[in-house]
Parts: sequence; structure tokens; C-alpha cells
Amino acid sequence: MLKKVILCSVVLGLLALPALGQAIPKDTLVVGADMGIIVDLDPSRAYEVFTNVVIEQLYDNLVDFEGTFDVIKPALAESWEALDDGTTWRFYIRKGVPFHSGNEVTADAVVFSFTRALALDFAPIWMLDQYVPTADNIKKIDDYTVDVTFKIPFSEGLMGAIMGVQGICGIIDPSVVEAHKTGDDPWANKWLQFHDAGSGPYKLVEWLPNDRVVLEGFNDYWDGPPETKNVTIIDIPERAQQRVALENGTIDLAWNLLPEAIDEFKTKEGFTVYETPSWSIDYVAMNAGMEPFGNPLVRKAIKYAIDYDAIVEGIMSGAAIVGQTFIPTGIPGHLEATPYHKDVEKAKQLLVDAGYPDGFSTQIVCQPTSPRKDIAVQVQQDLAEIGVEAEVVQLIAAQMYTLYRNQAHYIIVAGWGVDYGHGDSLVKPFAHCCSTGADAPVRQLKWRNKSANCPLTAVVDASEAEVDEAKKLQMYEYIQQEVLDDGPFAILFYPLNQFASADYVKDFVPMFSESYTEFCGIYKE
Amino acid sequence: MIGYMVRRLLWMVFVIFGVMTLTFFIARVIPADPVAAVLPSNAPDEAIEKERERMGLNKPIWVQYGRYISGILRGDFGVSIRTRQPVIEDLIRYFPATAELALTSLLMGTAIGLTLGVISAVKQGKIADHAGRVFAIWGLSMPAFFTGLMLVILFSHLLRWFPQLGQMPAYLRRPPHITGFLILDTMIAGNWRLVVTELRHLVLPAFTLGWLSTASIVRITRSSMLEVFPEEYIKTARMKGLRESRVVLKHALKNAMLPTITVIGLRVASLLEGAVLTETVFSWPGLGRYGVSSFLSIDFPAVVGVTIFIAFLYSFCNLIVDLLYGYLNPKIRYM
Repeated sequence: MLKKVILCSVVLGLLALPALGQAIPKDTLVVGADMGIIVDLDPSRAYEVFTNVVIEQLYDNLVDFEGTFDVIKPALAESWEALDDGTTWRFYIRKGVPFHSGNEVTADAVVFSFTRALALDFAPIWMLDQYVPTADNIKKIDDYTVDVTFKIPFSEGLMGAIMGVQGICGIIDPSVVEAHKTGDDPWANKWLQFHDAGSGPYKLVEWLPNDRVVLEGFNDYWDGPPETKNVTIIDIPERAQQRVALENGTIDLAWNLLPEAIDEFKTKEGFTVYETPSWSIDYVAMNAGMEPFGNPLVRKAIKYAIDYDAIVEGIMSGAAIVGQTFIPTGIPGHLEATPYHKDVEKAKQLLVDAGYPDGFSTQIVCQPTSPRKDIAVQVQQDLAEIGVEAEVVQLIAAQMYTLYRNQAHYIIVAGWGVDYGHGDSLVKPFAHCCSTGADAPVRQLKWRNKSANCPLTAVVDASEAEVDEAKKLQMYEYIQQEVLDDGPFAILFYPLNQFASADYVKDFVPMFSESYTEFCGIYKE
Repeated sequence: MIGYMVRRLLWMVFVIFGVMTLTFFIARVIPADPVAAVLPSNAPDEAIEKERERMGLNKPIWVQYGRYISGILRGDFGVSIRTRQPVIEDLIRYFPATAELALTSLLMGTAIGLTLGVISAVKQGKIADHAGRVFAIWGLSMPAFFTGLMLVILFSHLLRWFPQLGQMPAYLRRPPHITGFLILDTMIAGNWRLVVTELRHLVLPAFTLGWLSTASIVRITRSSMLEVFPEEYIKTARMKGLRESRVVLKHALKNAMLPTITVIGLRVASLLEGAVLTETVFSWPGLGRYGVSSFLSIDFPAVVGVTIFIAFLYSFCNLIVDLLYGYLNPKIRYM
């Protein structure tokens, strides 16, 4: 009996040894993030934000951006110029840049990468093929020069935004693809799902779904080897666990903390908090095809009924900034205007003017997750104050977006992530709708809300063709003002990207778009 | 015995086929578009249509069902809409982590449950009895995410006895993939220091999950023991002068084990349910998290794959329990 007790004590003692000598090594950065969204690391398929955070470390594009997205900086292309009217752009590729395999990045690799992305034709390709429809649009001039011909003349800003799209415009090593292609899979898509063929600052060591992504610094990186040799991103879906993990030193940097935790880390010694507005928008939309939202006065009444401050300060705990225009802060062309605030009397009067003195009944759909469901309840309460009785229906994303795409909602609480860093990616979804039928060329948010406006749609089309960047941005401001006045959207806020790290983590630069975050400049003191 | 097993196996096939068909159709009557779940909400309609065609979801439902059944008969569970991997490969990838967690938690739950059950029976009505039962009921009543977080705060954050999450520290490299079972692979690699680290990582999630099983095991062990204590052979054993511990553990417990075995057998499959929350709380890369993500994405092939797998495991455990009956009690005969 005594022997058993001793044995048990030894085993338990071994297992319960305090975490001695278990600090993270200085050359390794451990990031905790909810990365269940990652399903494929082939750049031609990368669409989700966090997938692109990883893609950003592995692949380079021809061009990149400074912190704010209005300055395009050289990447694999050291310079570029517009030929003729801006329809064709010529890129001069940096010489002597190696891929992770050791092969050199050349014009052939650039042509191959675009050809591959277009041939694979995965979901995110629309961002490229809307302007570069076929591989014939990309031509090798010599080993280090490539011409890209767009469908319409491009301003430099739009050229940079499109060529800077991660994943589909990332440059891939053709010889690696060649080595791993099969009869069924001529572009080695299956192999690239779990491996990399890039020239970025990090090489992919392994990706274990729902577990971790392990990256190793690429010493021959053209812009110098990364400051931190190893980066491991571990999957921590529970936000509360990310907080504990940061506190007890299991991770160096937490990606998805709750606003309350961020507030605590702001005042806690030994930690640093980073905040920046994000490339996303949260909004309430009203379906103009459903009565009574076809009436602009009703839509305006709803916009004046909503308590924006309560949503930002109460529900979002300050992790957002009030914004009411659809191009968020940080993207050129953003219009700074917040005319709507809670004004019950004005909202009631608008309802009287619209012919609804006694209010009406309606329905609000949202996802069953915070903060959207909380926002829906807040809006429900706000509408009750002006006599509008709204039922809140919670649906999982797959159900809600099916309903939305079928134009079958009344009021919806939803969000929108920016696809690429230019107003062009937003004016079409939020302002392009001349017909509400299935024949419409753009069936995005304005179409889903059956809010046709042909003159405004003509301005959107004209803005696309405008080559002068300054004039283009002026047109975007006009379009935003029109949508603000008359559109079906009550844009509530722009969420903040919030992160926290141990204070020995230096030079972490948060980006408007999380997916452009670079790990290569980060180091540990 | 052989005939009984064959009948049971046929019944198992029937049950699994039924589960498969029901799941297939239930998943499809939900008014939700799996493509909308997989692609970002801002994907344009053309991208959605392209993806739907790629997934074969534009075909009539009977065609999809026919393809699915014929696929399964050939051992092909289809390709997951979300992960874009063959479902069978996903199941193989995620199962080992869950199996390690579930088996450890079952061992922990059984050891604690049996011990508390015996103590409660021996000390019936006394403080140890009440304390044991309160402990067991507590584990059953508290949701795993709460228990898990509390254990993390106490044993990981404050006391720093056990690691907080994952199967191993983030900064260490995994051993070469041989069996998929991390601890086994680490043993094969001969890295015993890492084995101890991995066992330490296993303690909190396994205890969280095992605690769920404790309540039913305590209750059934206690009541079975109390039924056995008045039996003549126990009295005889005591009269022979055997030590009380020997009477309780060798004579009473062995005879009281039959209902306990049933409960333990049924808990094996139920552990997979508990694993869903436990794996999320402890960032454990297992089948539970895979299942949840698949359900939320309306990932038809993965949902049906996970469901068939759990149905199979449930039926298999029932069969094993039935066969164990005969071993433990020779009076039972199979018809």
C-alpha cells in the first residue's frame, strides 16, 4: 500500500511541477488568435482575413502599402509606370530576389502566378478578373519586366489596390508548383493548401488546422531577414483564454481580446495595447422593397431613432468609432460626416410626415452572436420609442445571408469587410443599383436592400472610369453623401482592431486591415 | 454468441444507415445556404454561384443523396465544404487528439467516480458520503466551459501547476507524424521530457471532461454497493475475518460492477459531446471542434461524416458493454 502511495505521489509530483524554465524563447514570437477560419493556405484561395494574415508572411506582391493605404510602396516590383492612358501598367521587377526554394523571382514567375490564379478561378478571383479577365492581359517583356493590361484605364491608387490584393496577386514559385502538380491537380492546389512557394519574410514550417501555424524566418529575404526568427500562431478560440494566456506568458501577443480585457491591459503593468480603426463597417439596413421602407422618410426616421452613442460606448465598450459613411477611416475617399444622432421627436415627426403616425410592426434579423444580437436589441428598444414594434429574429450566418441575398428581410443588422484598399471596393456594393431584379450587373448590398437609384449608379460607373485619382475621390465623397441622405443604410460604427502584447514585444504595427499585418519587424527585448 | 454478434452488427449497420439518411435530409431542409456560410458575406453572387457549382449543390437533392450513398459504400465520405479536404481524412486527422483526451478523461472520471462511490457507500449518511456526492453532482451541473475556465484560473494562472491550453507548448516542434496520437508519436521519437510536458497539458482538459462522468459513476457505484452489502456472501467474508478493505474491494465492488460497466460504456460516446465544449475552452485540436465548425457552416459532408462516426462509436460501445456482461456475469446467456 505504501509503495502505491509513493508511486502515485511521484507521478502527480512530476505532472504538477511548476512551469519552471518554460518561458518562450526570445527568438520566438507566440501569437494567440482565433484562427478556425483558416481552411486553405493556397494564395489563390485565400479570402478570409486571418488566412491572409498568414499569407502576408509567406508571399510578396508586386506592390505593397505604407501603414496608411494611400501610399503605394515597392515590393517585388521596384518601380512601375503607366503606359498610354493608364490601361496598361509596366512593372520593373527587382533583380536577385529569391523564392524560399532559392529560385529567382522573374517575369516568368509573375506571369505564371496570375495565370494560375485565373485558371484556378476560386472565389476571391473576382477582385482580379473584374479588371484583368484573362492571362493574355499579362505579358512578359523581358526577364524583369511585365505589362499588365486592365479592362479600363486605372489611376495609380486603384492599380496599387488591385495589384496589392493578397493571395490572388501574390507571386508563386513556378518550379515548386511544377514539382508537386499531379494529373488531377495541374496547379498543385492540394499541395499548396498545406505548404508554401513564396518569397515572403517567413517560410511555412507547418500548419495544423485548429492547432497552430509555425513560421520560420527566411534569412535571404530581399528586405533583410526578419527580426524574430520564429513565429508560432496558436489557435485559441476562447477570448477569455487568450487573456489568461497573455497574462501567464503562454503567448506574447493576443489577437482577439474582449474590449473589457483591452481596457484592463491598458492600465496593467507589463503589457502594451494597440488600437487602430479597422477596414470594416457595422450597419443596420432596411429593405426598400418591403413596406414601409420604400418611403425615404421612414428610413430617415429610423436613422434618427437609433442611439449610436449607446451602441458604441455601451455595447462595443468603446472598441469602435462612430462613423456613418460607407468608406471607413483609413481608406482614401472617406467622407467625415456623422449627421445622425438619436432624436426621438424628429424621428416621430418624420414618421407622421411619412403617413405612419401610429408607427408600424417590423422584423429585425441578426446573427446570434455578440455584438450583433445586442445591437439588434438596442435598435429594437430605440424603435419602440418612436412607436415601431420590431421583433428580433436571430439566425446563424448561413441562414441570415441566404435571406439577405434573397432580398427577403425587413431590417438587418450586419457588417461588411473591405475587400481591397480602395473606395472602388465599396462604392459598388453600397451604391450601385439601377434595377432590383436578377438582371442587375452588381447584386450587392444596395441591390439586396432593393434600393434602386439609376442616376447615382451612373455616377458610380463614371467614378470607376475616372483616371484622375483626385477627381475619383471627389466622386466617392458625393456618392457617400447621397447614400447617407437617402440610402437604406444606417451605418453605426467602424470597429477598432485591438491587440495586446507583453511589453517586451516591440515594433508591432497594427494595420487598418489586420490581414496586412507584418510580423517581420517585430522583436522581443 | 457468434449469432448474437452477427445480429448486433447487422442492427448496427441498419442504425447507422438510418442516422445517415436522417442527417442528410435534416441538414438540407434548413433554410440556409452552405456556400453563404463558407464564403465571406461580401462575396458577390457570381463567386457564390461558382462555388455552389463546384460543390455539386446545384444538382437535385436525390442526385446528391444517390452520389453520397454510393460514395460511402465505396468508403468515400465526400469532401468537406469548409476544409476542402476529404471528410475521412479530416476525421482521421482530428480523432487522435479527441481519443487521447476522451480516454484520459474516462480513466480519471472512472477512478474518481469509483473511489467516491465506494467511499460514499461505506460511509453512508456520513459527511464523506455527502461530500463525495456533492463533488460529483457539481461536476455534472457545471457546464464544461465554466469548469474549464475556473480550473485554468486556479491551477494554471494562480498556482501555475499545469499548462493552460493546447497539447504542448507553442514554441516546441511536434514530433514526426507517425500514428497521429501525439503522446504515442512523442514516445516513438524517444522524447520523454516532452511526453511528461504533454501529460501535464492533458491534466486540466481531461479532468474537466472526466468530471462530467463522475456523477453517474458515483451514483451507480454507491447504489450497487449498498445493494450488495446485505448479501450473505459479504457477511460470510466478514465472519471469516477478512480485512474490511478486502471485503469491500474484492467481494463487494467486483459484484457491484455490472451496472457501473454499463454506465462507463455509455459515457465513452457521451464524452464526445462533452469534448465539444472542452476542446473549445482548452484549444484542443480534436473532433469536437471540427464538428462544431462543420455544423455552424452547414458543411453537409462533414456533418454527416461526424454523425455517422459518433453513431458508430455509440453502437460499438453498446456492443462491447453487452459482451462484457457475459464475461463479468457467467449467468448471462446470449440468445
